[in-house]
Amino acid sequence: MGSSGSHAEDRPPATPQTPQPLGLAGILPPKTEEKGDGKGATEKVDWLNLPCPVPFEEIQREALMSLKPELFEGLRFDFTKALNQRFALSHSVFMGSMEVPSQTSDVIKVPSAHYEFGANFLDPKLMLVGRVLTDGRLNARVKCDLTDNLTLKINAQLTNEPHFSQGMFNFDYKGKDYRTQFQIGNNAFYGANYIQSVSPHLSLGSEIFWLGHQRKSGIGFAARYNTDKMVATAQVASTGVLALSYVQKVSEKVSLASDFMYNHMTRDVTSSFGYDYILRQCRLRGKLDSNGVVAAFLEERLNMGVNMILSAEIDHAKKDYKFGFGMTVGE
Amino acid sequence: MAPKASLKGKGKAGKGSKGRKEQSTANCVKEWSTWAMKKAKVIVHFGFIPLVIVIGMNSEPKPSLYQLLSPV
Repeated sequence: MGSSGSHAEDRPPATPQTPQPLGLAGILPPKTEEKGDGKGATEKVDWLNLPCPVPFEEIQREALMSLKPELFEGLRFDFTKALNQRFALSHSVFMGSMEVPSQTSDVIKVPSAHYEFGANFLDPKLMLVGRVLTDGRLNARVKCDLTDNLTLKINAQLTNEPHFSQGMFNFDYKGKDYRTQFQIGNNAFYGANYIQSVSPHLSLGSEIFWLGHQRKSGIGFAARYNTDKMVATAQVASTGVLALSYVQKVSEKVSLASDFMYNHMTRDVTSSFGYDYILRQCRLRGKLDSNGVVAAFLEERLNMGVNMILSAEIDHAKKDYKFGFGMTVGE
Repeated sequence: MAPKASLKGKGKAGKGSKGRKEQSTANCVKEWSTWAMKKAKVIVHFGFIPLVIVIGMNSEPKPSLYQLLSPV
């Protein structure tokens, strides 16, 4: 009897801190990590070993990725050239109409064309992304891992016109089952947020911010409940905004998402419903809005590294029809 | 009485000038920080992309200058 070596129970390995997956894998709801047999009816929850929650600003990540693709009007061409594994240059051309936000309900479109040059350096510990346009605007993003748990992120949009530049510094600290972030921005903007896992599926978070120049402050709360198949989030802010979202992963290739937003100040209610098909050669996202806006976005893989993009948005009420096409070469 | 009043007067004048000095140091700090932010903004605006390119060209495996400039 081989009882000399007692057969230790086959325990699943301790849940490692998996880095955020890139690409399409990132849009699927994260798998819940629980100790114990996976298929058992009642799984014992280890309350001291809860998984790390998603960052506060990514609480609605799945819903945003499915419902808010980058719709555009006109021609878009992106070329990314990788010089080595970590360093890449990108050239991007856009010719079409850009929408200018207007106070009235009219839609104001300004035809514009620009060329954007960018350089990316992606290292596990340091990420530098810079984009500069022909009119001199610079978009810079820096992400630096100062230690294992502390990350510094800098986001800046610099323009040639004075007083139009914006910058934001974020310090993120990742704990065992919580994350906190502190933000400093220009115009004396200070913000902080905190999110904590309270159960293997549920995480709660809150944020506060203070605008120095306008002496405005606000507080908000958020909750996120996710399982393998669905993600439900709710966010309330003292600025009078309530946002709910729900994403259901119907199968490996199909997800359905819906979203509800209520703005108390402007009495604006918007709800949208969308689908996201991730197929072998293409990714098709479509959505229907309560304002009667129908939109669709298709990315089709023609060849290795060559993608064709089609974008459409139809708003019959405002008579706004936006159709765009483009190509993306490189990763 | 009179010396006391004059002392009080001098005290107030002294405090006033000290207050103005503190105000001007605060103004100085604000001016210098504004000047520094303006210079920093110009430096970042012109230097960020060259910085990324320099860091990228020095990473392993080192790409060549031809690869940087050619459109293929």
